[in-house]
Amino acid sequence: MSLAHEREDSLVKTLKESFPSDIKEATVVRRSRINLVVAPDKIADIAVFLRDKLGYDHPSGVSAVDYNREGRFEIVYHLSSIKTRDQQDIVINLKESVPRNSPKAVSLVSVWPGVENYERESIEMFGIQFEGHPRPEKLFLNDNWDGPPPMRKEVRFPTD
Amino acid sequence: MTTTEKPADTTGMQAMSPTEPGAQTMTLSVGPQHSGSGHMRLIVELDGDIIVSAMPDPGYVHRGIEKIIELRNIIRSIPVIERPSIIDASNLNHAWVKAIEELQGVEPPARGQYLRCLINEMNRIMSHLYWLSIYGVFLGHTTMFMWPLGDRELFIDLAESLTGARITYSYLVPGGVRRDLPKGFAEEAIKRTKYFEKRLDEYENIFFKNPLFTSRAKGIGILTRERAIALGSTGPTLRGSGIDRDLRKDEPYAAYGELDFKVHTRPGGDSYSRAMVHMDEMRESSQLIRQILEKLPSGPVRRKAPIVVPRGETYARVESARGECSFYMIGEGGDKPYRARYITGSYRNLAAIPEVLKGVRLADMPTSWWSIDYWPVEADR
Repeated sequence: MSLAHEREDSLVKTLKESFPSDIKEATVVRRSRINLVVAPDKIADIAVFLRDKLGYDHPSGVSAVDYNREGRFEIVYHLSSIKTRDQQDIVINLKESVPRNSPKAVSLVSVWPGVENYERESIEMFGIQFEGHPRPEKLFLNDNWDGPPPMRKEVRFPTD
Repeated sequence: MTTTEKPADTTGMQAMSPTEPGAQTMTLSVGPQHSGSGHMRLIVELDGDIIVSAMPDPGYVHRGIEKIIELRNIIRSIPVIERPSIIDASNLNHAWVKAIEELQGVEPPARGQYLRCLINEMNRIMSHLYWLSIYGVFLGHTTMFMWPLGDRELFIDLAESLTGARITYSYLVPGGVRRDLPKGFAEEAIKRTKYFEKRLDEYENIFFKNPLFTSRAKGIGILTRERAIALGSTGPTLRGSGIDRDLRKDEPYAAYGELDFKVHTRPGGDSYSRAMVHMDEMRESSQLIRQILEKLPSGPVRRKAPIVVPRGETYARVESARGECSFYMIGEGGDKPYRARYITGSYRNLAAIPEVLKGVRLADMPTSWWSIDYWPVEADR
């Protein structure tokens, strides 16, 4: 395998050309890893483009990160491709930031049905709202949990 | 207490409303005690004995591991990382140290990489054997419950001589592995894997060709290729739907790039295909163990690595027994990660359970969902 990042570079180029104003940042982190920071209101369009045009049909997970010092949550969709055989090792991290005081995002369950559980977990653990989510209910936490979203940075435990 | 009085809510579980008289379907709560549901609850809607829809209700073994590992240093987190799936401990451990090493830029020495593959493959067999024994329980096949658990001891003993622990090894550390091979390990391992492969033939005869199994697995619990992709399935579940994906081949890590092995798939997408993928993988892992011992390079097994997570982010993944196990780790220079997102194979495959159970008869429910090899503790973390 060559050390050049031709496949990654050409993916980034295609994405930047297709969405010149909505992609804030598209970088090749290392071989096989691409970071894509997009505007939250355009994420659904970019998601459909990734799935249909680039073949990123296989969701590997969704991470939420609490950047409390910057006053924002980052939601990261980890995507891989089954359709494109020679890109089996590539993971695209599709990122969007939502403000911490009104954490609202668009659900991408309609694009990738597999992200349903991960988004549900972000709802209960971080208190992020996903508009259009089919089941915005508790997943792992008790149905009667009334504490703060436990994965937020300000939530501490006595053993810290 | 009168019948109209609601029982006290001590479980944190929303009570289900009784079935309306004259309704077409009935809703049944299965679990969370292990009555064929695992340590989780399945809310099953039935029409007669046909499952119309099934909704998993996980979380009964949730430990908040993502929070715990944000609060302690990376070495002290290793035993915590292993806990979600102690039967597959070293593979989860591998994902953790791989994420740390990617951020640190540390590459373990070659012998350390081979030893990692060795314990990973032993763990894959042990995990699949445990899975198989529970499959035997679910089918009422007592021999298939006893045999795999008995043969699992072959590998548990080997792992004990290698790592000092039977199940939870904490063998992989940033920079390599904790110990080198003990004396006489290779001879013993070769003997045991050869014996084990003979046992697999016996498993096939007594179980996998047995109508008791085939009549309840062939053509039942279908997960189509398209749905497996859309739902983000992984591991044997994905390969059982005919998709040839395995991270050991797709994104070779440790010493897998230098090893010769096949990725096994089955096209059916039914319980039978998924079960047979497990069977084929055990055979493959068994020969891989011998191959690793044969190709094992000499040299140190561990390199010095600092107890620090450097600033930056990474998405590291390995192929565990139940599929892709990944860490999305963000470091800010301390001895603990700022955030470590932990996604395991079982969590990925949770989405496939409603799909697989749709249209299945209630009696086939345990065997159908268990063919996914869903380990509730691993999913809840």
